[in-house]
Amino acid sequence: MLARDLAEQVPVVRRTHNALEVARLIASLRLAGVVVADGRGEPVALLQGSQVLRIVVPRYVREDPRLAHAYDEAGADELCAGLGRRTVGDLLDDDEVTPRELPQVQPDDTLVEIASVMVREGSSLVVVRDDDGASSGVVTLPRVMAAVLRAAGREDERVAHTLAHDLADLDSPHAPIETPDGEDDA
Amino acid sequence: VTVQATLAILVFAGAYVLIATEWVHRVAAAVGGAALMVLIGATGSHVAFFSEETGVDWNVIFLLLGMMIIVGVLRQTGLFEYLAIWAAKRARAKPFRVMALLVVITAVASALLDNVTTVLLVAPVTLLVCERLGVNPVPYLIAEAMASNIGGTATLIGDPPNIIIASRAGLSFNEMAANLAPVIVVLLLVFVGLCRWLFRRAFVADPERAAKVMALEEREVIQDPRLLRRGLIVLAVVIAAFALHSVVHLEPAIVALLGAGAMVLVSGQSSQTYLADVEWETLVFFMGLFVMVGSLVNLGVIEQLGEAATSAVGDHYLVAAVGLLFGSALLSGIVDNIPYVATMAPLVKGIVDASGGASGAHALWWALALGADLGGNATAVGASANVVVLGIAGRNGHRISFWEFTKYGLVVAGVTVTLCLPYLWLRYYL
Repeated sequence: MLARDLAEQVPVVRRTHNALEVARLIASLRLAGVVVADGRGEPVALLQGSQVLRIVVPRYVREDPRLAHAYDEAGADELCAGLGRRTVGDLLDDDEVTPRELPQVQPDDTLVEIASVMVREGSSLVVVRDDDGASSGVVTLPRVMAAVLRAAGREDERVAHTLAHDLADLDSPHAPIETPDGEDDA
Repeated sequence: VTVQATLAILVFAGAYVLIATEWVHRVAAAVGGAALMVLIGATGSHVAFFSEETGVDWNVIFLLLGMMIIVGVLRQTGLFEYLAIWAAKRARAKPFRVMALLVVITAVASALLDNVTTVLLVAPVTLLVCERLGVNPVPYLIAEAMASNIGGTATLIGDPPNIIIASRAGLSFNEMAANLAPVIVVLLLVFVGLCRWLFRRAFVADPERAAKVMALEEREVIQDPRLLRRGLIVLAVVIAAFALHSVVHLEPAIVALLGAGAMVLVSGQSSQTYLADVEWETLVFFMGLFVMVGSLVNLGVIEQLGEAATSAVGDHYLVAAVGLLFGSALLSGIVDNIPYVATMAPLVKGIVDASGGASGAHALWWALALGADLGGNATAVGASANVVVLGIAGRNGHRISFWEFTKYGLVVAGVTVTLCLPYLWLRYYL
């Protein structure tokens, strides 16, 4: 299978979205991450779930992980609630969170080429973009895995379902989500 | 002065300028300088590798290496995080009391470990306590950097310049502690008082926030109590072996290496873990520095300077001590005190040797140690611990500017170094 066959439309978020909205999207759709789009809907960045999580954990705890054990339950909850004070834009501007470049593949790239980009970039999402820069969707890790199973002749009903349906087509109130005020500064 | 000696002085001065200005990385400057010394024939393999006078002082290198490995294991125990949180709770989360206890813990830890390691361990937990307390962590971090420089002055192993001085002067752990620790205890008390005045606006108590500090669970940070017990036993044995040098007849470097070996054995950790804290760059920097200074010794340049210094000093050792104390403090506030002490140690040794054992001359070692170590507090770049604390603060969103640190540093360095003067005078020259 080629990248164009695996590309799907996924829920996108904008810079103005609250980080908790991103967390809700990731949790409700069990996503590995979300695509951040600009005003024209073009992907500008990928935010992985683990990158959003980095914001929950203060830098000094990341530098000294033993300190994570010092928080009681209320303290830990208070720390997590701090995510609500950040927007997607804040996360993108944080030099620890923003991926250096948007991982992308060509529409006619093979499964191995897609996998190679994912491994190199440590990303579970890649954008499919043609030579003109036009995006035709995103390839997610579950779809790549499903394609691997199909290629290995181990496809079953659930794998076929993964390949047949876009995440954005799922019957979910969260997908796709729009910017609250229509404003966009990406 | 021969052409070769002139070239060696030029190489040394050039490397020193590069180290001080940081135009090139200090390791590159020191190793590059050492290479040039070899090329001009100022030193050779035998001179550089097999003589502590004219080459690499392996006592210093292996003492540092051993202590780095010991610390590498100890920091995995969570002991320092435990102590800091325990202290904050013990202080009932009252801001000044918290700062005072953190300052004392940092100073005591610095006397036993190197300063940079100490602040690396204490700074993150300080940020945690301050965040819970809702206070600005900047004064606390600045105070800890300064406390580490003050506390590190107390012992042979507390600060790298002390290791160099002890090795060159042939001073034991006990001699260093007996002559430096008493004044450091006094200076620490004075420093705590200074903190109350310098950072007086930082001590705003909030009972609601204090409750959040009291809710921290310090016992939880110790994930491996068995490793902690074993690590503390090894550390205690190492300190005892340093102190019992006259009984066990083991040089500090040997004690540190044996301690490191024991620590590795009892911890059962992988080499990646216990070697993670070894600062190879620092060790290579020391080697390059020793070869450069040793080349000057080998060519007789230091001996000539020593003779000039000896004739200039005569028997006015008190004047020399005052000059050395304040001159060292001034220079250490501007440039790294390690190359400074590495250069000055052979000169001071020359004066002490020429004095025929006069106690006034011997006290010059204490003037050098106190001036070089305490002078590091004067500016944000005066000591490695200061630079590290500024880095940690900046990464956590609390930028400390050069001048913000320096305006406090000048006061602290000025007061502490000046207080050393009556100490030296009363104890060694009265």
